[in-house]
Amino acid sequence: MIPAQPDVIDRVAALLQQFGLELAFVDPVSESGLAGVTMLLGQLEDSLGEADDVPQPIIMGMIAIRRWVDDRLAADGQLTADTIVRLHQWQPWMVEAVTAWSRGLAPQVVPAIWSKAVSSSVWGGAADDGPAEVPLTPSLPAVVPPPPPHQPPAPLQVKVLSAQSPAEAAEPPPAVPAAMWVASDECQDDQQVAVLPEQGDPEMLQLFCAEAHDLLHEIEQGILVLEGNPTDKPSLDALFRAFHTFKGNVGVIKLTTLQQFTHEMESLLDAARKGRLMLGRASIGLILEGADVLERYVTELAEQLAGNLPGRTIGLPIPRLISQANALLAGRTLPTAPCPTPAPPPEVQPSRADSPPPSSLVNEPPPAHPNLGSVAVGPAAAVATSPSVPRPPTKPAAATPAGVVRVDTLKLDGLIDLVGELVIAQSMVVQNPVLAAIADAHLSRSLGQLRTITSDLQKTAMALRMVPVRATFQKMSRLVRDLAVQQGKEIQLVLEGEETELDRGLVEELGDPLVHMIRNSADHGIEPPDVRAAAGKPRQGTIRLRAFHQGGFIVIEIADDGRGLDSGRILAKAIERGLVTRDENLDRRQIHDLIFAPGFSTAEKITDISGRGVGMDVVRRNIERLRGKIEIDAEPGRGTTFTIYLPLTLAIIEGVLVGVGEERFVVPTLSVRESFRPLPGMVTTVQGKGEVVSVRGRLTPLLRLGNHFRIPCRAHNPTEGIVVVIESGQDARCVFVDELIGKQEVVIKSLGDLFRNQNDFAGAAILGDGRVGLILDVNALVKLRHRGGDAAA
Amino acid sequence: MSEATPPLAARQNGHAVAEPGKYLTFKLGHESYGIPVLKVREIIRLCPITLVANMPAHVKGVINLRGKVIPLVDLRTKFGLPVTLDNERTCIVVTQIASASGGARLYGIIVDGVEEVAHFTDADLEPTPDFGGAIDAQFITGMAKASAGVKMLVDLDRIWAADCAALPDPRPPQPE
Repeated sequence: MIPAQPDVIDRVAALLQQFGLELAFVDPVSESGLAGVTMLLGQLEDSLGEADDVPQPIIMGMIAIRRWVDDRLAADGQLTADTIVRLHQWQPWMVEAVTAWSRGLAPQVVPAIWSKAVSSSVWGGAADDGPAEVPLTPSLPAVVPPPPPHQPPAPLQVKVLSAQSPAEAAEPPPAVPAAMWVASDECQDDQQVAVLPEQGDPEMLQLFCAEAHDLLHEIEQGILVLEGNPTDKPSLDALFRAFHTFKGNVGVIKLTTLQQFTHEMESLLDAARKGRLMLGRASIGLILEGADVLERYVTELAEQLAGNLPGRTIGLPIPRLISQANALLAGRTLPTAPCPTPAPPPEVQPSRADSPPPSSLVNEPPPAHPNLGSVAVGPAAAVATSPSVPRPPTKPAAATPAGVVRVDTLKLDGLIDLVGELVIAQSMVVQNPVLAAIADAHLSRSLGQLRTITSDLQKTAMALRMVPVRATFQKMSRLVRDLAVQQGKEIQLVLEGEETELDRGLVEELGDPLVHMIRNSADHGIEPPDVRAAAGKPRQGTIRLRAFHQGGFIVIEIADDGRGLDSGRILAKAIERGLVTRDENLDRRQIHDLIFAPGFSTAEKITDISGRGVGMDVVRRNIERLRGKIEIDAEPGRGTTFTIYLPLTLAIIEGVLVGVGEERFVVPTLSVRESFRPLPGMVTTVQGKGEVVSVRGRLTPLLRLGNHFRIPCRAHNPTEGIVVVIESGQDARCVFVDELIGKQEVVIKSLGDLFRNQNDFAGAAILGDGRVGLILDVNALVKLRHRGGDAAA
Repeated sequence: MSEATPPLAARQNGHAVAEPGKYLTFKLGHESYGIPVLKVREIIRLCPITLVANMPAHVKGVINLRGKVIPLVDLRTKFGLPVTLDNERTCIVVTQIASASGGARLYGIIVDGVEEVAHFTDADLEPTPDFGGAIDAQFITGMAKASAGVKMLVDLDRIWAADCAALPDPRPPQPE
């Protein structure tokens, strides 16, 4: 037999070697080290899953070891002496089996006790089926092999892959896992779970939280796909794998209750994956609810880690969910209809009230480390925030996440600052007149190289701030689903361009406005199915959420095919609220703009979802704070489209560099409508002081920047200088400068307290030569009122 | 503000009184001034200054301190001293003070040359005499008698706070 995937075999062989090394580190006394073993085992399974000609014995071997390990995980999360012995036997056997496979030789015989362990397995033996899962309540093989003369492994205390720190490993762990929960009689549905595990250093728990959020996110996405297509194999696999990883992770931090719970969820999915169970509405609701339980736990853990009342317990409906899962697995219908309705928000408030008395806790969990704030995935940030580090756009099902590292955002920002300074230092070196005078080809080549590297470095550093909008977008699918269920509407959310990258700060700020607008679309936009059908539209409404680049902007578009905006009603409402008067003659666009006015809401009844009248004005304000703008386009009966334009990043703007006298200023490119050298006759004076320019038939006031800033300028006659037309909203103003120097991307720096009362400058930037350039506050300049004859208003 | 400004700042009626300690002394015109050495971040050469328009005369503008934009203040103008032409001894003392909005702020002071770091004991220090209205001494925390003459000790925090508060507000603040 000629192996089809030599690279798979190589990888498996390497993993087995690593596995042997890991085994050597397993401490037979404390019997810890399961985490490392589990992790490697998972990698082995993944690698083998890619090959489709895995010999049967290897499969059997994998099933056997997976069973041993899962048994231990399901028990106390510790390796027992005989498991260690078995692992020590398994590894060399597997190495040989893989060697035989690679040479195309006949495979070895599987040891009898292993196959015994496997025979009860549900796995039909399909080689490409990935990791095998056995049902819970496994029985250990009847025959336990006599322990072979096995040398104690090297007494190394350093755990390379183990999640436990050496110090912890040195201490004998408690024989019985910490009592994680105390079942209380007064609450039949909820099980009280202590949130902080008995041991595990805070840093590890932080990591757990961060990863758990990602996994839960994946889970949620998977479920939403399954809801539309319950047999979607990739989603089933991804979902299964996510639960599986989650189970491994809770095993590592020794949360037995949750581990058992995730195991049940996993079994359910496994059955679905293998076609033994058809996922119906009930099971999907159950899995979704399960994910919510996990999320509530993780959110609470994150909060306690942040020092917020550590030691609190949380009530989770685990027993009910487990029994429901078992019932589904047994092919029964659920005794009580599980709610596929919107899950409770990921808050733990209700459970706090019914915490058991502190005495019921066996041990006080260790208080969270106080200095953990920096990495904390805050509870509010929960799934909402994307990972702090840009992740390559991996598919949810991708087996290898291409090595993602989590970095403290403070460190990241520090790095970006430093790189910025390096670039400036570099340009100062390169432009140094002494160096420039040296006519040495070697030196100039080296300097050129330095410049290339620093600019590449800067680009890379800036890219670190960028994260895909995926996480924020996908959060919306859950929202839409819940809203649709709640209101009895049929709504489909179509996401496009999720891979579009945005500045991390922007992504975080974008969440709330998006939620608001999606809610508006679902609540006011999309009609109930019957109304839609009567109007000749498909019963299912569609909300389209798109992100794309357009001319230096990131554009986010929320389009629904609902009823659109009713100009008449908006206008009537606005008049009623006194926002406009009856005689004002507004065009359609201006009427639509009224919905952004503070306190405006046309919802006839105040629903739970939207219509409290604090909606779109907040959205607009948020977007404008991000230096973006929002536009609205609606067609009665056809739908509404909100378009948000955002700058690529918060930290950098593209600016037009203009010169006045010796000074240079940066005008944000977004605000520059055009610039030109005025022809004679284009500029007219008003009362001998003010000036207006005729731009395309419109008279626009002219502001001489030199006069305004009281700095000497070179150009006095309008035809000697340049007119830059800047705009803010609907208004525009012409700014007269000496020259246009060029376009440059600049990093925005704050001017600080001392300058907070001035309105001329929005900030400062370090220019290429190391000098500071001031960024004009276009908004203030456009709106500038008459002041001492500088400007004609 | 006072907690963040060691080692001095025992204040009486809002007026700081100089405490013994190490001071960096520098020249402004022909006079010698001192500031607590713990407030000094670094001393740099004069560098290109970007003017910020419509600011009080003593706010010279902003400079680039290795990627940070920091304001630059000319104490000579502030104290009404004659502004001498910049020479090779002219330099910028970068100081660090607690800002009203929390955190430390850097700002630069143009001086006509730094002298030394001197240690002033209680015996060296004297409270600011009352000049009888001829001189506004609100920014002076005390006088130090040194071998080379008298040094006026400057209350940077007060100058900063006054600058931030007293600046003209030409237009109503815009909503952020």
